[in-house]
Amino acid sequence: MTKLPLSKRATRANVACPRQIWDAISAQLKAQAPNEACTFALTWPSVGRERATAIIGEPIWPLTGEVQATPYKLEISSDYISRALDAAIDAGPHCGLALIHTHPDTQFGRGIAQFSARDDWYEDRLFPTFTVGRSLPICASVVLGSGAADVDARIWWDDGGKAKVQPAELVRIVGPELTLLETPYSTWADHPDPDVMDRSTRIWGKEGRRRLQNLRIGVVGAGGTGSIVLIGLATMGAGDLSSWDKDVLKKENLHRMLGAIKAKLGAHKPDALAVILEMVATASPFSFHSHPVWGTSADALEDLKDCDLIFSCVDRLAARVPLNDLAYAHLIPAIDVGSSIHVADDKRVDAVMTHAHVLSPGIPCAWCKQTITSYKLMREAQGAQRGIEDRAAYGLTPEQTDGVEPSVLALNMLGVSLGLMEFMQVALGVSDRTPRDLKFILPQWELDESDLNTQRGCTTEANVGRGDSVRIIPYEPKDAS
Amino acid sequence: MAAPDYIVEQVKRLSEESGETFVVTPNPIAGTELYAVYACEHWLPPRYTRDKGLLGFRVPANLPLGCPEDSFFIAPDDLQLVVADPVRNSRDINRAGKSTGILKGSDLGDISVLVFSWHLWNKVPWDRGRHTLLDHYQHCLRRFEQSEHD
Repeated sequence: MTKLPLSKRATRANVACPRQIWDAISAQLKAQAPNEACTFALTWPSVGRERATAIIGEPIWPLTGEVQATPYKLEISSDYISRALDAAIDAGPHCGLALIHTHPDTQFGRGIAQFSARDDWYEDRLFPTFTVGRSLPICASVVLGSGAADVDARIWWDDGGKAKVQPAELVRIVGPELTLLETPYSTWADHPDPDVMDRSTRIWGKEGRRRLQNLRIGVVGAGGTGSIVLIGLATMGAGDLSSWDKDVLKKENLHRMLGAIKAKLGAHKPDALAVILEMVATASPFSFHSHPVWGTSADALEDLKDCDLIFSCVDRLAARVPLNDLAYAHLIPAIDVGSSIHVADDKRVDAVMTHAHVLSPGIPCAWCKQTITSYKLMREAQGAQRGIEDRAAYGLTPEQTDGVEPSVLALNMLGVSLGLMEFMQVALGVSDRTPRDLKFILPQWELDESDLNTQRGCTTEANVGRGDSVRIIPYEPKDAS
Repeated sequence: MAAPDYIVEQVKRLSEESGETFVVTPNPIAGTELYAVYACEHWLPPRYTRDKGLLGFRVPANLPLGCPEDSFFIAPDDLQLVVADPVRNSRDINRAGKSTGILKGSDLGDISVLVFSWHLWNKVPWDRGRHTLLDHYQHCLRRFEQSEHD
């Protein structure tokens, strides 16, 4: 019996994979049943405050003769190992390797997704080759049982010149929906009294209820849209919520912040909501983590890497940039919600829009959808002098504005409803298709779905699943609004 | 809030590659998240009444994600053409208007400048993965190379 060098890279360990890659690997390996099958794949690290993830990327398929397979074991040639290692080194200092193999059904029974004694023996000898001397990568090994959801996984890394290993609790498959496969080490638990949410369970089933109970959801922004998202999720049965906002509750923003009470004036917005969230939450247990900082600061971005899904409820375009990057690079789907109201010169509202956009591999990113453009970012940076370059050349004075957009609860609720419907699709799989992005617009009174595709050369798309190798630039607003 | 490292580095490279001494304002322009990048003694076209002056433009703090403003400015604001433009019958510099306020809060003070709006990026959109301040500067110089009237 091999004694594996067990240790903790982080409190929790995950393996993640873009859905397209996972489906291809799974299909190709399982097609070789009744023989076992394997492939190496590149990995990229994603390390947050509490969770370390090995993100599986491009497979490095074995060439003819590089793997000798039987129903009970695999022999991997040294050429294949060298070739895979060379590919990882060539890909950069963050890139590691994963070994994915199958346990198919045999005459002795079902293919069990559990590392065998031989797997332990072999990997204990193999993974030091991949890890020692390379401190940045997180490598992984994964075994697929014969059932679609049967999986076991572990992560490997260099710890001071020695290879260490930690079992992974979950395998996250992303794109655009989020599928979570529990390994034998999963710490997920069911609600102790499931009847309290019977009518919701009829929509997404016991599996959906279990997911809601255990998913770690981050909500960036706890204001006009964020407050509604938090109360909606807590009511629906989400068991683990976190929120970031440095802004404080003032009498000026009470009228558009759901769940805010006068007794909490002066408190940071997430803190102001904590009491009501505890009161309305239906999950058991329920935990809410309040962070009175900007959710796109460097520290907050580290914490966000511990989430399974994020809601972006920010009011600045510039804040959407790092959240967009994080969603695709770290395989953490985000749902971006926002509203805008345009007031004409005569002070009448002449256009209103609320949107909910899914940001996840397989859906065009915020740049491709033109939610974010370089021009819009520049206009936002102009602040009180917005549009001045169109006026100054003609001797016209800047039109000074206070930069504060109108906002109203009803419109925000509509946008959040769209976002929560998208959440139900991404996290709970309630329909066949994840929409691109949804916009409700007035005065047309129409719900519109974007038809924009991913643009050629999109850097966000190129960085899908590249984890910590992608530099995400934090953003902190100059002043609290 | 000091100018981000990326802008500082870009300004340094712009100076090296242009041969002009560009600097960036240490603080953003009042009421904005824009920084002014400028050279105090930049050459001006021979058709202007001075051969050197201030030349600059404004960039967002999140450059290159956000693009530079589609304009640039020169000073002093009394710059004119040496010879009147025969088409417009004017010595005023075409498509340049006096403006104050665009440098408020910067180390230049709220001086009056001539702002050009010449649709610098009208042919090729700003590409955040490719374009640099040197590209923007070269777009600005096109104005000096083209004829005075439209």
